[in-house]
Amino acid sequence: MSLLQRTAMAGLAVVCCAPWNSCFADDLPVTFRKITNNGLFKQRPAWAPDGRAVVYAQHSNDAIQLYLLEFESGETRRLTDRTAPEYDAVYSPDGQSLLFAFDKTSPNQGDLEVYRLSMQSGELAAVAVTDGKLSHEESPCWAPNGKQLAFSSTKEGNQEIYTAAIDGGTWLRLTSDPAIDAHPAWSPDGTQIAFASNRWGDLEIAVMDADGSDLQRLTRTAGLDDYPAWSRDGQYLAFTGNRDGNFDIHVMRLADLSVTRLTTSPAIDNFPAWTSTGQIGFVSNRDDGFDIFVTVNWHPR
Amino acid sequence: VLKIGNLNTSGCCGRSRRSLLQAGALSAVGIGLPDLLRAEAAQEDSAPARSVILLWLWGGPSHIDTFDMKPNAPVEYRGPYRPVATSVPGLDICELLPKLAGQAHLYSLIRSLNCSSNDHGIAGTIGLTGSDRGGVSLGGQVQAGLLEPTHGAVVSRILGASPLLPRFVSIGDSLHQGHKAISGEGGGRLGPIHDPFAVNYLPSHGVRIPNLELMDELQPGRIDNRRQLLNQLQKLKYAADASPSMDRLDAFYQQAFSMLTTGESQHAFNLDDEADTTRRGYGRFRFGQCCLMARRLVEQGVRFVQVNWSAHVEPVEDTGDGGWDMHDRHFQQFQDRHAWMLDQSLSALLDDLNERGLLSETIVVAVGEFGRTPKINGKAGRDHWHQCYSGLVAGGGLQSGQVIGASDALAEMPVHTPVTPADLFTTVLAQIGIRTPELTSAGLQPLGQVIEGLV
Repeated sequence: MSLLQRTAMAGLAVVCCAPWNSCFADDLPVTFRKITNNGLFKQRPAWAPDGRAVVYAQHSNDAIQLYLLEFESGETRRLTDRTAPEYDAVYSPDGQSLLFAFDKTSPNQGDLEVYRLSMQSGELAAVAVTDGKLSHEESPCWAPNGKQLAFSSTKEGNQEIYTAAIDGGTWLRLTSDPAIDAHPAWSPDGTQIAFASNRWGDLEIAVMDADGSDLQRLTRTAGLDDYPAWSRDGQYLAFTGNRDGNFDIHVMRLADLSVTRLTTSPAIDNFPAWTSTGQIGFVSNRDDGFDIFVTVNWHPR
Repeated sequence: VLKIGNLNTSGCCGRSRRSLLQAGALSAVGIGLPDLLRAEAAQEDSAPARSVILLWLWGGPSHIDTFDMKPNAPVEYRGPYRPVATSVPGLDICELLPKLAGQAHLYSLIRSLNCSSNDHGIAGTIGLTGSDRGGVSLGGQVQAGLLEPTHGAVVSRILGASPLLPRFVSIGDSLHQGHKAISGEGGGRLGPIHDPFAVNYLPSHGVRIPNLELMDELQPGRIDNRRQLLNQLQKLKYAADASPSMDRLDAFYQQAFSMLTTGESQHAFNLDDEADTTRRGYGRFRFGQCCLMARRLVEQGVRFVQVNWSAHVEPVEDTGDGGWDMHDRHFQQFQDRHAWMLDQSLSALLDDLNERGLLSETIVVAVGEFGRTPKINGKAGRDHWHQCYSGLVAGGGLQSGQVIGASDALAEMPVHTPVTPADLFTTVLAQIGIRTPELTSAGLQPLGQVIEGLV
């Protein structure tokens, strides 16, 4: 079965039970709502599956820390009391845990590993670590079954994409290329993993089966395409691209690989993430500092 | 009052602390305030440039990802970025620097810089003084010889001290590698009197002046009457008398006090005076606002401003504060943070200076202590590379819209016109009128050769 057939089928299955995705706007202006306000640099927002909160990493001078914004209360709080950097958090499918990049710092360098944080108890558990070797395990994402994760690691001498069981065990290396492979994103139906790679020159979005086979290039435009994010119905990939000379959010319809530019601001728009209602959130400095914005009543075409 | 104008190394050391502070008090309350800065400004010379802004990109930016791209190199070298055309035909730079690409006619690139050490501490000393003498490595080894003064200190020494605004201001905290201070940021063998006047800007706190931090109330905009001022002066006297290194502190306090209590000086530090669009243009982050302050300082007469990108070579991920020493996660950090920050702030500075007619008399240098390995390491990063790296030089009557030197196909070694940091700053100092005669008269000597293609 071809990539297009599979993605179309995966999308169809979800569309049938996803009313928010049943109509499409044509050429309507996209509006955005700003949901943070302090202007500090932020990266990789991720929405809770129930839509009640968003987690993100925030930079402040010499710190990168995870924060959670609860929409109902409007309250923002730190997720851990760690002093070492932490970032790139993603929710488990049941919303009960986060995976994130956990920095273990020594006097002048850091060692990244993937840890799991229980949202209820605050307990931390190592998930993807390397003992005695300074390598970086980062950019985690959950498999939709909640039992596996995909992540990037440099443990074998180049940054590659791996998968592993959440509760430990052998890692499966999915990519083997002298280029840099980064930012894996597992498809909602569990069959594929999208990621960014510079194996064709500049950064492009690629997709492969979840076992590393059938790798295909999805974008072919001059410029950088990065940070792929699957829509919850599996029909679309949002990503960051600078094909127009500036970093904007783009959305690819996987049925025909057509790409729509979602943002057109001269500002930097980066780190796209889908909300539970099918909107797209991202980090932008369009309003001076860096804050998180979300589309309002937008529907992919 | 005249004592203030004679604040130089020997004068300061020979003067009582109290007399200096009394002079400061008189100045501060507006009784016979000497306008020696203007007097100094009247000492016109024929030098093409008047001021220097050094943007010190601490940690070592990757030359192959910024100003010396090699798109035809193997994937293990070239990285994910592509070159884009600039305003100068035939000159390409990284796609992540689009604003700077549009300004290439305003600057020259040097693609053949090299130095003799790949240790941040020693290479930092070389970059900031022109010599490795007195440089301290990460392991603590000290290079032989007396530490030379940094370039701004040379300017301070040659031009003499100024009472209202220092000759040499450093914006940002002092430099470290591995959380150990490096040497070469100050007066060196000229003495600490020629250390930079240190200020900083933090988005969360605004302007900070470490020399005055013992007096919390004494900050720009917070001195609202003379009585309060005199109360603070009294505190200052007590503090000064208790200090073990008073000769230096006398001068610093005097200068800091004058800077905070005279209109011109306060103005230089008050970024709130800038239009919001200007502040946004530079970027609301620390480096951007420090670049804006640098422009304000040279506009007010400061001759050498050094803006430190960060205090630590290490990025935040590696226990630092955002430096360029990206041994790992290089591309992620460069793409998501460093590239656009440098592009926005440096291009805003060049634009702003140009629009105000200041670029023709202000040299802007953007450079680090070395470059980074053209071959990508096993951690998606680049390591130290001192054999060949790049720098950007603009303004001050220097030639622009060109490239000085060239590197080989892999950006590993210069293939012609090798340039050392000493050559670069010998050229910069000469352009502001500090040449061999001026240096030798101060007991110094040029440490490099003037770069012919730049002048």
